Amino acid sequence: MNIKETMVEVLTAILPITLVILLLQLTVIKAELQDFFSFLVGVILTVLGFTLFLIGVKSSLLSMGEMLGVSLFKSGKIWFVLGLGVAVGFSVTLAEPGVQILANQIERVSSGDISKNLLVMVVSLGVGIFLALSLIRIVFRIPLVYLILSGYGLVFILAIFTPENFLAVSFDAGGATTGPITVPFILSLGVGMSSIRGGQTLSEDSFGFVGLASIGPILAVMILGVIFG
Amino acid sequence: MMAILLAGFWDAVQDVLWALMPLIVFFLLFNFISLKLPAKELSKILRSLSLVFFGLILFLHGVNIGFISAGGAIGQTLGALQYNWLLIPIGFLLGFVVTFAEPAIQILNIEVEKVSGGYIKSKLMLYFMSIGVALAVALSMIRILTGISLWYFLVPGYLLAFILIRFVKPIFVAIAFDSGGVVTGPMIATFILALTVGSSYAVEGSNPITDGFGMIALVAMVPILSVLILGVLYGNK
Repeated sequence: MNIKETMVEVLTAILPITLVILLLQLTVIKAELQDFFSFLVGVILTVLGFTLFLIGVKSSLLSMGEMLGVSLFKSGKIWFVLGLGVAVGFSVTLAEPGVQILANQIERVSSGDISKNLLVMVVSLGVGIFLALSLIRIVFRIPLVYLILSGYGLVFILAIFTPENFLAVSFDAGGATTGPITVPFILSLGVGMSSIRGGQTLSEDSFGFVGLASIGPILAVMILGVIFG
Repeated sequence: MMAILLAGFWDAVQDVLWALMPLIVFFLLFNFISLKLPAKELSKILRSLSLVFFGLILFLHGVNIGFISAGGAIGQTLGALQYNWLLIPIGFLLGFVVTFAEPAIQILNIEVEKVSGGYIKSKLMLYFMSIGVALAVALSMIRILTGISLWYFLVPGYLLAFILIRFVKPIFVAIAFDSGGVVTGPMIATFILALTVGSSYAVEGSNPITDGFGMIALVAMVPILSVLILGVLYGNK
């Protein structure tokens, strides 16, 4: 496994911002030595953790995704594709670090009004439903543009009824759900499915999954807001 | 000191346990019913999943004691300054740095270069996106300082996107909407989010739940618009 390569990838992403933060801590913030030190320990843990995480994702989830995609398409039963799409989308999104972190911060800021666990569940369910829809799209060959337009159309209609407190949070959830675990997994699922189907639209079919998947959480959090807001 | 470094570690372990459990159970069930992988393959996948498990714990805990507390502290200090407009240029700088270095974005850029047959250079894309994200973070700071609703940015932004869709090839539409999540990498949801929420706490009259959040939404719009605009330019060449 290419540990070194992954480590370099993580370091290039994290080091520049770390340097800027250190500079800010020294000048503007004048952070205490203790804070300075715990930030450095945090950075080291982040780099190590993210490296391990990415290596694990690359060597397990990608092949899991492709195997699932292949057997999904072989089955050919719509209800099976739908059910499995929801289950896969749901369980993969639960494991997405961005979702956990966002939900944590939302719970803290709303002083517990928007519960972390509920939010994570709802967001993951949103991804699950929209992942199932994008699998169906491949089966019925529905153009992506129709689904994107109607998805966002629905988002903006629902936004009218959504309480102010949930509005920013819902769009943030849409952005945060697609990250280092969902994107490669969903892509490999798509590759697995379209590899069996073959044909000329193969490359076009494997795009669009992620874009559709990020509409789900926006709608899901808005509905949560309409009910509880 | 140890107490500070370990604070919240157990929470991270529990979070990760709950986060990964469904995926593991689901995969084992699916394997039992339909895949039936040989034991060797299965144990390889389970070993990799344990890397994901330990990696996630370290990452979440590291981010909590590192980037999230630093982001919160920097935001609160800057927001409380008399010159709190400093948040705007500093937000711009940080947004640029985070995006310019993000490997996931480089991958997207190379993909666009390929699809456009080399017409849209990946270097050009990188500057386009980094400045776009920098502007999005700066705009979020302006929202925190002035309380302008997120709405006034999202509605015109997505309207523009829907208009642009008519003028580009379908493949650009797919890439554009797929890449919304690419830029909102781990540093945006952690450090920059803690920064905007922290600033919002410190700036008088700002509401963290409506103004501090919304930054990710603006950042996610950047690649959608960037790819569509470059797609239009490509179509008109």
